[in-house]
Amino acid sequence: MKNKNSLGSVLRKIISSSKWMTLTTVIIIAGAIATALLPPLVLERIVNRLTAHQPIPLYLALIYFGLLALSGLLESGQNVMITVFGQKVTHGLRSEMCAKLQRLPAAYFARHEAGKTTSRFVNDVDVVDSLFTNGIISMFADACKVLSILAVIFYKSLGLGILMLWVTPLLFVMTRLFQKRILKAQLANRAAVGNVNNHVPETIRTIRMIRTLFRQKYMEQKYDDYIEESYHATDKSNLYDSIYSPIVIFISSCVIAVMMICAALGGQVQQFFGVTVGTAVAIIAYVNKVFDPLESIGMEIQNIQSAVAGVKRINEFLNEPEREKTDESVTGKGPIPNTKPCICFDHVSFCYDKENTVLNDLCFKVESDEAVTLVGRTGAGKSTIFRLLLGLYCPNEGRVLVDGVEASKIPDTRKRKLFGYVEQSFHSVSGTMAEQISLFDPAISQKQVEDAARLVGLHESILALPEGYNTPVEKAIFSQGQFQLLSIARAVAASPEILLLDEITASLDSDTERRILDALERACEGRTVLSISHRLHVNTRNYRIIEIGSKCL
Amino acid sequence: MSQPKQIEKVTKPDHILSYFKLELWPLLLVTVSGIFYNVGMIAGPYFEGRLAQCLFDIMNGYQTFSAMISLAVTYLAVILAVQLMRCIKRFYVRRFANDTSRNMRHMLYNSLVNMSQEELKQESLGAIMTKAVTDVDACVEGMRKFTTEIFDTGVVLASYLAMLFVYDWRLALLSGIFTPIAYFIAGQLKIRITQYNMEYKKSAGRLNSSTMDRISNSITYRVYGCEPNRDSAYETHLADYEKRAVSANLWGSAMQPIYNIISMCGAVLIIYSGSKNVLGTGWANWNIAAFTTFLSCFTKMALKSSKAANLFNAVQKAQVSWVRIKPLMKEYVEQNTDSAIDFSKPGGLTVSGLSLGWPGGPKILKGLSFSAGPGQILGVSGPVASGKSALGKALIGEVPYEGSIRVGERELSTLSGYERSRLISYMGHQPDLVSDSIEENIRLGEHGSIAPYLQAVCFGKEVSQMPQGAATSVGSGGIKLSGGQQARTALARTLYNAQHILILDDPFSAVDRGTEQKIFENLRTLAADKIVILISHRLYLFPTLDKVLFLDGGRGVFSTHDDLMEKNPTYAELYHAQMEGEMQNEE
Repeated sequence: MKNKNSLGSVLRKIISSSKWMTLTTVIIIAGAIATALLPPLVLERIVNRLTAHQPIPLYLALIYFGLLALSGLLESGQNVMITVFGQKVTHGLRSEMCAKLQRLPAAYFARHEAGKTTSRFVNDVDVVDSLFTNGIISMFADACKVLSILAVIFYKSLGLGILMLWVTPLLFVMTRLFQKRILKAQLANRAAVGNVNNHVPETIRTIRMIRTLFRQKYMEQKYDDYIEESYHATDKSNLYDSIYSPIVIFISSCVIAVMMICAALGGQVQQFFGVTVGTAVAIIAYVNKVFDPLESIGMEIQNIQSAVAGVKRINEFLNEPEREKTDESVTGKGPIPNTKPCICFDHVSFCYDKENTVLNDLCFKVESDEAVTLVGRTGAGKSTIFRLLLGLYCPNEGRVLVDGVEASKIPDTRKRKLFGYVEQSFHSVSGTMAEQISLFDPAISQKQVEDAARLVGLHESILALPEGYNTPVEKAIFSQGQFQLLSIARAVAASPEILLLDEITASLDSDTERRILDALERACEGRTVLSISHRLHVNTRNYRIIEIGSKCL
Repeated sequence: MSQPKQIEKVTKPDHILSYFKLELWPLLLVTVSGIFYNVGMIAGPYFEGRLAQCLFDIMNGYQTFSAMISLAVTYLAVILAVQLMRCIKRFYVRRFANDTSRNMRHMLYNSLVNMSQEELKQESLGAIMTKAVTDVDACVEGMRKFTTEIFDTGVVLASYLAMLFVYDWRLALLSGIFTPIAYFIAGQLKIRITQYNMEYKKSAGRLNSSTMDRISNSITYRVYGCEPNRDSAYETHLADYEKRAVSANLWGSAMQPIYNIISMCGAVLIIYSGSKNVLGTGWANWNIAAFTTFLSCFTKMALKSSKAANLFNAVQKAQVSWVRIKPLMKEYVEQNTDSAIDFSKPGGLTVSGLSLGWPGGPKILKGLSFSAGPGQILGVSGPVASGKSALGKALIGEVPYEGSIRVGERELSTLSGYERSRLISYMGHQPDLVSDSIEENIRLGEHGSIAPYLQAVCFGKEVSQMPQGAATSVGSGGIKLSGGQQARTALARTLYNAQHILILDDPFSAVDRGTEQKIFENLRTLAADKIVILISHRLYLFPTLDKVLFLDGGRGVFSTHDDLMEKNPTYAELYHAQMEGEMQNEE
């Protein structure tokens, strides 16, 4: 079960859904590897002819060039395919992660900062992209190159082949050593980069506080500390990175030197190395070619290294425990006798973490069309009751029933018809004023949007904006109270059965409060209303009061 | 915590050269090692040619075995030296990039943190994020590649070319004409590459804002059942991004082998005429060493010049990013903390003939006059959109005003940001918490006990019951605390940093009535020598306040509660309505 959501299985899914592309990529890479082997063989013939004082026919020169060109073209194709492939993967991965958002429990969003989760989607997935484009695939191609060249070397010179068999594992061990060090530095860096990224939106959000308390320097120093952390980690990994490839090149020179010396020894040894001048030239070309891909493997390892950290975190994200499945068969349209309570808390106990119990054995019932106000001290769990009703959390004990169905089983798609939830503060989404109300819901027509705005008395104010309902929300200068009204419009747009009003009057003066209550009065016809208030307020309807914090009412 | 490190200020931060200038030392090292390394690059082909020749000579009996030994040893020594230089060059080029990235971010943040609320509103959040992070990275990467390629391409090409000319100038000229063609094509494609990159960047920006929106509003979308349609909107952004990323990368990376092929056309000529040189029928007199060296030198040169296009690309990318960062790069702002004001002396607040409104908009309030002295608490109330919050914001310099606001001896508009912050404290609707501990959120870098302030806002006991106490992290934007806890943390922060005038805009909205009463009493003691301006739509505390400013219809009435009850019917009605509500509900 655990593997179902791992990065690996997501990748397998994406790859198997694009078989043709994968096949083309493999064929092109294989072609690129094979053609890259051929030019030195032609070169060997050319040099051998020269040492024998034979002229070089033009066709041999053309073949040499032709093979080079072909290998170049195939390499070009390889680049294109790898890019396309990498993008397919990132697209698929982001889609999969986005789908995961829906399945995450509400608690996840309370525990994890939005900036950091965004960084999973943006930075970490980019890292996985580079893992493919500049990492795994090219590394696979390079490894094939190394192996095929080694095979040719073996064929041409057994002695050198054996020498290479010694050198290559040695290089691999060294490479691993570098890998481990670099990974450590990369992990430190990525953590620091997360903080750096989070600090910018945070500054934008709190700029007023920073200015009024004159903490510009303080915030700057904080940012500098984060950058500094990232700086040192990067510097460290740069150091290893800088040493690695020069060492590899020096080793390749050593191999060439040893081979030439052995070839020059003559007799038995030369026989063993099987080297003519032409072969020597070809083999020098091959040895350089072997170490080229080995060197790029070094670079690719660096890319993979930095990706590992990102991959780990994406994996963590994909493996986050999911909320319980809702029951799609719940339509809410079933025959519900009016006598049945609409909302029922049946011996409900709930805690966010193990230490603090928020609700203890809470029981209450709300009949259809009834209006109820929940009162209680701060922290008594009034907002929690709403979260349980909305199915965002499941009770630890007992049942929360809405129309006789367990709240957490109600599918999300049903919710807007069922609940209108007015949060403590207005959460604007990036979009127009109309979209603040409709929340991009295609089922809500422009007319419904306008009706909702009229209901809360905002229609005129919105029309007065430069682009009316199409004004982007950032450009609308609305007061706190007006935004609160907007969030009520959002709640009633789909004519829900139940209205949940959390602290609705907290930031409103009595005048607006009255306007809202008047508006709600109209909206409440035939609906059940639950409202939370620290303060008790005037109301024209017969509100029943339920006190939270005392046992079973 | 490590010792705070001061990152250097960049003068003329909107000039790319300024960043190069700051890195003189690393760049000098890069230059020296880069020249040595790249000139040394020809040592490889040169010695490998000599090695082949030497083998030929030994096989034919012209040379002895010891000649090969000494040649091989020299070869290794030279390669070692060259690679050492390479090592230095690689490291310092990266150090340069690392330094520059740090400097750029430092400057970028400085200009960000010193922007006002209005300036910030004009930039959307997602765009700033992309700008600050991706652009700096891309820009620095371009600068690094540029610096690297100056040597790896420029110097190497020059030395290879020189070597080719020494061997056979006619052949060098002939075979070399293909390289400029490759360069020419690369130059032509430059514009296209820039364009595709620009579109790619824009798409990335859109994708980022939509990601941020999807995640930060997840719960809102969930309770309205709107998650599926947000996901499909996200999918559209993803598809667009994929398309643009592929075309940008296609033009950027796939062209290199093509440039290489064009450059390599010269190889045909070299093999054909070069072989004639070896056989003694060509323009120059060559041995095998000359032939192989020439060919391998040429191959390496062709490869290098094909990568020259990379240089263009990197510089292009950097330019695209730089163009976007540049307007954000402002001269380092050092807030002026000089002042002739004696901040230890409490002063009064006198407002007369005050009118205010947002720039370009109508006046929200007109003809306000009121005053308060140390120790007084002034209540401000009025119906929604009556300008309560705007008045609070005018007092912290966010809303322009006409008339006069005198703080002590000075007019508010003549105060610097620093002076204002030393005279006036403000708490708005948003708690504005930072991702740090509760303690750090209150102190914000200052030292001193926070316990009395936690007590004052009735938060002390709750905090002490948390497993980590005041060191408990509040999460991003205070997400790990409840609304009431956030508000009380913010209030404690405001009191901890309180100056002579304390403006509290609806500070008790998220706490219950009993707590509010207690906090208010503590506030009275804590702020005994201060002026407190309490903006609220709740009137039940107002009878205990020294003065009341009631805003209605753009005008203000400044009086006491009792007086207003008597003379202002709107106020009296509001008060009664609220108090009645309380009575009814408390039954």
